[in-house]
This record gives sequence, structure tokens and C-alpha cells, in this order.
Amino acid sequence: MSLRNRLHAACGLSAIAFVAVAVWMAACIAPTEQSMGDIQRVLYVHVSVAWLGLCGFAVMAVSGVGYLLTRNLRFDHWFQSAGELGWITSGLTLATGSIWAHEAWGTWWEWEPRLTASFVLWLIYCAILLVRGSLDDPHQRARIGGVLGVMGAADLPLVMMATRWFRGMHPVSPQMDPLMRWTLLVNVLAFTALFAWLITERRKQLRFRQSNDDLQRTLIGRMKCSHS
Amino acid sequence: MNKVWWVLQKDLVAEFRSLRVWPSMLLLGVVVAMVFGLQMDLLPQQKQRLVGGMLWLAVFFAGMAAIERSFSAERDDACWDGLRLFPVDLSLVFWSKWICNTIALSALEVVLFPLFFALSHVSLLAHPAELLLVTMLGNLGLSAVGTLVSALATSIGRGGNLLMAVVLPLATPVILAAAEATRMIAEDALNQTFWRWVQLLLAFAVVFVTVGTLLFPAAVED
Repeated sequence: MSLRNRLHAACGLSAIAFVAVAVWMAACIAPTEQSMGDIQRVLYVHVSVAWLGLCGFAVMAVSGVGYLLTRNLRFDHWFQSAGELGWITSGLTLATGSIWAHEAWGTWWEWEPRLTASFVLWLIYCAILLVRGSLDDPHQRARIGGVLGVMGAADLPLVMMATRWFRGMHPVSPQMDPLMRWTLLVNVLAFTALFAWLITERRKQLRFRQSNDDLQRTLIGRMKCSHS
Repeated sequence: MNKVWWVLQKDLVAEFRSLRVWPSMLLLGVVVAMVFGLQMDLLPQQKQRLVGGMLWLAVFFAGMAAIERSFSAERDDACWDGLRLFPVDLSLVFWSKWICNTIALSALEVVLFPLFFALSHVSLLAHPAELLLVTMLGNLGLSAVGTLVSALATSIGRGGNLLMAVVLPLATPVILAAAEATRMIAEDALNQTFWRWVQLLLAFAVVFVTVGTLLFPAAVED
């Protein structure tokens, strides 16, 4: 195992340990919220994954622009890995938010501005990943993804500002106990670290797959030449 | 601007000569409006709440049928190759297609608005200037998204299916904002929130037209 691989593994283990500490803080250290009780603790995960859902799309848009400017497939590997993980975190945002809303508002879902904008973001993730999955040519996939990623990024400001602009039910910046704030901050940092590590690992995997495909194509081409 | 007009004129003349796309778009719009109208056996207040969403969904589904054809028609008989030989910047081709699609959506609404009024008895003309503003901004945003995705879809040869799968989520913020603003016009509730929706429509129109102008050359690569 090379030093670089060991470093990668160490980073991954550290990120997982960090998340474990953060979840432990959320479950055991943070004070219990008076009106909602223990179910409020889902908020620490909800805010963290919501932030990562937005980050994932921002990385996709930047990588899309990178590819369109340079035509280098390395950007597309970033795009794909950020897209997959962003889709998961965006879906988790909706799920955890729904659990919180059921306790706080008495309903699993409400068509209020922030929730609707987040759902639209998740749909855009789905559409982009589905369309890319249907294309075989890597450069075509990267080009289509790049354009759609940049267009879809227009939804990001709407998700962030929806509650302020349209005064929905979603809380903006509620008053919190200082220990709750620290727990939230640790959770956001821990999940961000894990997200960053997973993106780099997935990107590495996609790069290897690309090299493998290129090698296969070259070998098949040579075999055809030698037969003819 | 002259060059945009030339390409736009070519598209409009081709459509008026063949009448292939717009009549089918109008027919689809009327059918969707009829289906919605049949389902609207509701109280007047409930109709006022629903009419915006239904109207804009009808505009979207019928309009996309025309927008999808705006590029796939160019692929027939190598028309697209001829258009690329035309000495203009590709971004100007996007602008002409975008304007043409906006005109198509406007023509559709000229038919659909009175039809919705007749079917639902909800008056949308209490604030005509505001309605015109919302309609214009909604059309500009929708046609910009549709035009760019139509160009993308045509470049990979999987027209309709791909277009509909991608356009709907991308255009949802525009449809939602236009539907909410139209609902507020129908309810005669032009408050601060209404103008927020109008600002949002304007922002999306500007963003999608800018993105379309910049990315169109990349979108139409073979």
C-alpha cells in the first residue's frame, strides 16, 4: 500500500470517526429541546445534509464549466461524483426534514417555499443523473451534464433564500442553546469532511474506470488491426 | 440584430408555410384546457386558487411540443448544416430560436386565456398590465430553458423523451412563480409577495437567457 493510499485511508477513517463523534454529541451531549423532545435531534443531521446537497450541486456546476472550457474528462469525474453524493444528501434532506416537520408542524409535508425549492433541486439532480446515465460517449455525457448543471444551479439561490423571500413556515435562524449551536457546527463540519472524502474516493474510482475503458478500446482496436 | 431577424424570419415563414407545429400545439393546449375544465366543478374561490397552476401547466405541456420541434426540424434534410454555414454567431441563432418560441407561447396563450376564462369563469383581466407582465416573463423563461434543452436533445438524437424528462424539473421554478403570480391576480391580491414572484420570474428569465447565450455553442456540438 503506497503512502498516498495510506493517507487516503487515514483521511477516510478520520472522517468516519469525526461523524461518529458528531452523532454522539447530537444524541447524548446536546440538550433536549423542550417542546419537541428527542426527535428535534434529527435537526443536526438535517442541516448538515441540506448544506451538502447545495455544495454537491455547486461542485457539479463548477465542474461542468471546467469541462466545457477545457474538455478535460477529469472535471466530469468530479461532476459525476458530486452529483451522486449530492443526490443522496439532497434526498436525505427531504427525508430528515419530513421527520422533523411531522413532529413540529403535525404533517409530513407542506408545500411551502423552502421545501418546494428543495424538492425541485432533488428532481433536477434526478433528471441530470438519469440523462447522463443514458449516454455512452463520455465526452457527450460530460457536455450535456455540464450545460444542465449550469442551468440547474439557478435553483440554488432560490433554495437558500426561499424562506426569506416568501416567508414560509421553515425556520430561518432559530434561537438555540450555545451547546446546541456547537453540536450543530461539529455535525456540519464532520459530515462535510465525510462528503469531501467520499467525493474524492468516487472520483478516483471513476478515473480508474475511464482508464480501463480507454485501455480496452485501444486493445480491441489493435486486435482488429492485426486480424485485418 | 439584423441577423437575428433573418433567422427568426426564416423560422416564422417556414412555420406559416407548412403549419406543422403551431396548430398541433394549439390543439394540445385546447385539449389540456378542456380536461382541466371538466375537473373544475368547484366553488369560485377554489377555482381562483387552481386556475393559475392549471393554466401554466397547459402552457408548458403544449408549448414544449412546439419548442421541441424548433431544433429537431432543423435536423431534417441537413438544414442544420446549412444554418451553421450562415455567417452569424451561434449565440444569435439561440436568440432567434428563443424569440420564435416565445412568440409561439404567446400565440398559445392568446387562445388559452379566454378558453380558461370561459371554462372556469375566473376573470384574469382585473389587472391586465400585471397579467401581461407575468405572462411575458414566464414565456421568456420557459422558452429559454426549452430552447437550450431542445438544442441539447437534438444534438444527441434523442429528442422528445430526453427533453420532457429534463425540461420539467429545470422549468419548475418558472412554472411555480408564474402560477403563483397568476393565482394572486385571479384572487385580486397584489401584495408584496406578488412582486416577489414577478422578481423571481425576471431573475430566472435573465439567468436562463444568459446561460443559453453562453452555452448554446457547446449545446449544439455534434
